[in-house]
Amino acid sequence: MSSPSVTNTNTVTESDVTTARLGPRFGRMDLASQLALLAVEPFAAHFDLAPRERIAICLAAGVGSLSTDAEYWKGRAAAGGPSPTLFTYTLPSAAIGEIAIRHRLTGPGLCFVGGGDELLAEASDLIKRGEADGCVCVFANVISPALAEMISAAPAASAHAFFVRRGEPSIPNLGTAEPAPRS
Amino acid sequence: MRERDVAIAGCGVISAVGRGVEALRAALKNNTSGLRPDERFAGPRFQTNIVGAAALEANHHNPAHALASFALREAIAATELRVREQPLTPSLSPADGERVAARPGEGNQDVRPPLTSLLASSIAPERIGLVLSTTKANIEALEGLSDGRPCSDSARRHLQPDRLAADLAAEFGARGPVQTISVACVSGLIALMQGAKLIQRGAADAVLVVGVDHLSAFVLAGFTALKALDPIGCRPFDRDRCGLSPGEAGAAIMLVRGDLAPRPAITIRGWGSSNDANHMTGPSRDGAGLTQAIRAALNAAQLHADQIDYVNAHGTGTPYNDAMESAALRTVFGGTCPPVSGLKGMLGHTLGAAGIIETLACVLAMQERLLPGTPRLSHAADDTPLSLVKTPRAVTKLNHILKLNTGFGGMNGALILNFPA
Repeated sequence: MSSPSVTNTNTVTESDVTTARLGPRFGRMDLASQLALLAVEPFAAHFDLAPRERIAICLAAGVGSLSTDAEYWKGRAAAGGPSPTLFTYTLPSAAIGEIAIRHRLTGPGLCFVGGGDELLAEASDLIKRGEADGCVCVFANVISPALAEMISAAPAASAHAFFVRRGEPSIPNLGTAEPAPRS
Repeated sequence: MRERDVAIAGCGVISAVGRGVEALRAALKNNTSGLRPDERFAGPRFQTNIVGAAALEANHHNPAHALASFALREAIAATELRVREQPLTPSLSPADGERVAARPGEGNQDVRPPLTSLLASSIAPERIGLVLSTTKANIEALEGLSDGRPCSDSARRHLQPDRLAADLAAEFGARGPVQTISVACVSGLIALMQGAKLIQRGAADAVLVVGVDHLSAFVLAGFTALKALDPIGCRPFDRDRCGLSPGEAGAAIMLVRGDLAPRPAITIRGWGSSNDANHMTGPSRDGAGLTQAIRAALNAAQLHADQIDYVNAHGTGTPYNDAMESAALRTVFGGTCPPVSGLKGMLGHTLGAAGIIETLACVLAMQERLLPGTPRLSHAADDTPLSLVKTPRAVTKLNHILKLNTGFGGMNGALILNFPA
């Protein structure tokens, strides 16, 4: 089987979110989900190249959902307790749900906590194993100022996405890539 | 057994029904519920204080690490794993004043023989991986820091799931690949799938798969806000069910390359996952997503639906989840659904640990040739399978078990276990 083909990476930051409009749900999402959704948007055309149940989503959430967790827990003293809407996003994998809903992707899903080093290898493995024909990969990392102070890290807010599919060199705007070497 | 089969070599657990695999085995036989009122969650802030609390010391400042460590110690001891240069031994030194959980066998003289024996094997530490499954890791530290309580360095560090995974791997001598999986309530099954994949593609010869989540005000407040809790404790598949009950657990399963495990061994035969692509917190009413995951697992396992001997359901006790699962089972199995039961009435919903501890229960069920019951089920709802198992019963054959979990964000997971004996 030929090596999976991979697109260039699309990178977005918080400033891109402030001007974005991606449907009525977008404004209610947490920042991590907004960034992930925005980063994935340019690859929507590729999703038509396979049945939607054959497109997987691989997400790497840098520090998990901790920035949203901190924001949610800040609201604990409010009348009625913390926000149920925000509680929905206190999971590192929340962005998978939003991507799946927007693009009607019903295939497998994976969410790692940590860096995005594993994404290409895992996406390629899903395709080689026959579990998917394509995989949208996203690394989203949000460290709010409040969280940064808590975990002694630098603030961050960005997402990087790319799309991997079965090797078809004729697809435009695709390079070829070997999975990252195993550690 | 083929070289790249993935076998289950050892298990460890701490949960609402006690410490150790034997406590869980007894609970399965007796259909016990571990749900109890917990004073920590009493009062108007929470919809209920009936939860599945594990036997940890009160106000433990790093419960995630304590639960995971206990389970890993027991799983490793059960596996009798040996590395080339030295025995694989757990850390015995408390850090930051943490209380070390009791080692397996301490205070329990009736220790059953381990699941399998690897006495003749040796696996280098670089060939042992670790996959952690958790949704909130040590969220206790966030609560403590927010309230101005003292927080140890390790407790703060383990706020971050990948750091908890890294520290557990170092502590228990797993120097191979380390992954941290967090896919809502499907995390455990996905972690088992990842562990199996690491072995099948040659990245490891053994993988410690450990799931953990601890009870917290954080989670109870969230489910309270969603009005998702049953005030009297969850009643999966019951006609009067009205919500879930949070639980906590640490559960670990040691996966090994098939040729390292003596025969007969329980193996992971296949799996599948999918997304409903419908709603962030509610499942699709028709169960189409879970149906897809089940069919993918059957296809991967090269099995027909009628070869499944038992289904262990997700069975949270919420009106929508249990109805959705029943719908998916009807679609897949038609009028001949195999026996089905759910264990969240025993353990509570243990989130990131659920897939691991419930799979572990399936392993015990295979060993005992016992169909687990559905604790706290009184009257089955009309739309549930007729094969719903209320109280445990012995069977002569339990070769293929289908384990299901679903989660927020529309995730669905299905895993098939195989036991040829």
